[in-house]
Amino acid sequence: MNSIIFGLLAAISLFIFFNLGKVKASAKQINRDDRINWGTPPWRKKNPSSKRDSSSGRIIEGEAEEINKD
Amino acid sequence: MARHAALETFGRSGNPVFGDKFNQSQGFVGSERMTLDGTVNKTGILLGLCFFGAIISWNIPNPFLMVGGALVGFCLAIYTSFVPRNAGITAPIYAFVKGLFLGGISLVLEMQFPGIAIQAIGLTFGTLASLLFFYKSGLIKPTENFRLMIFSATFGIMILYLVSFVMSFFGSGIGFIHSNGIFGIGFSLFVVCIAALNLVLDFDFIEQGAENSLPKYMEWYGAFSLMVTLIWLYLEILRLLAKLRSR
Repeated sequence: MNSIIFGLLAAISLFIFFNLGKVKASAKQINRDDRINWGTPPWRKKNPSSKRDSSSGRIIEGEAEEINKD
Repeated sequence: MARHAALETFGRSGNPVFGDKFNQSQGFVGSERMTLDGTVNKTGILLGLCFFGAIISWNIPNPFLMVGGALVGFCLAIYTSFVPRNAGITAPIYAFVKGLFLGGISLVLEMQFPGIAIQAIGLTFGTLASLLFFYKSGLIKPTENFRLMIFSATFGIMILYLVSFVMSFFGSGIGFIHSNGIFGIGFSLFVVCIAALNLVLDFDFIEQGAENSLPKYMEWYGAFSLMVTLIWLYLEILRLLAKLRSR
């Protein structure tokens, strides 16, 4: 009886995996700003958002003007 | 403006290696890109090979098959981690030899505790399916901090096992991690949780790989990383059940 229950659990789970695995994740999962950046190892870039914020703080908004030495 | 242009060129990643792959992927035709379908199908192939190896080892019990499978599997896992391009060749061999090991160890424990193998298989796949559902639905959201936490815990467990393994050569060891007492069972539960949460990281890696259209061989790499975690989870569940049954 025990084997039948766990065997069924394995079969149903595999069926779910092969069907659900091919479906794209929900928008709630995909459209996030705090997703993992798989391009960098976890120890190298701890908090990319704060780094980005600090660098963007140095950008001065406005139009560029040409400086004449004359 | 310039920042957006860089994002369009290199994708979300700032890694130059990944950046190259994203650039290459732009010139690929449809069938040469990593897809979710392809990765799931390849995971199915690896699972089949693992079962095939396990059936052989289960029916022809041989310690050489078991130990050989464990050692060759370990070497292949290290090699594949550093050379993902060859995962199409190494991952199927890895799955088969690990199956030889799993079949042997499952048989040993099955003789002591009848029914333990099917329980462990059921719980492993049950965990896989439920975590996949939680991930796809967005109930579990893996972030950089989540990855760092799971990575640190996994690394800590690896170091603990390594120290215990080395100490065993000198007739000593870290007693509580193998005991069937409350600490031993608590430790096993913790390891099972960490192994299960590693599955979430694998799902996210595969999902993002497919989104970013990585090269086709990354399907094998994604399936391989899922197999490594599944095999680890199965072994830890087997160990936890053995501890519970031996009380």
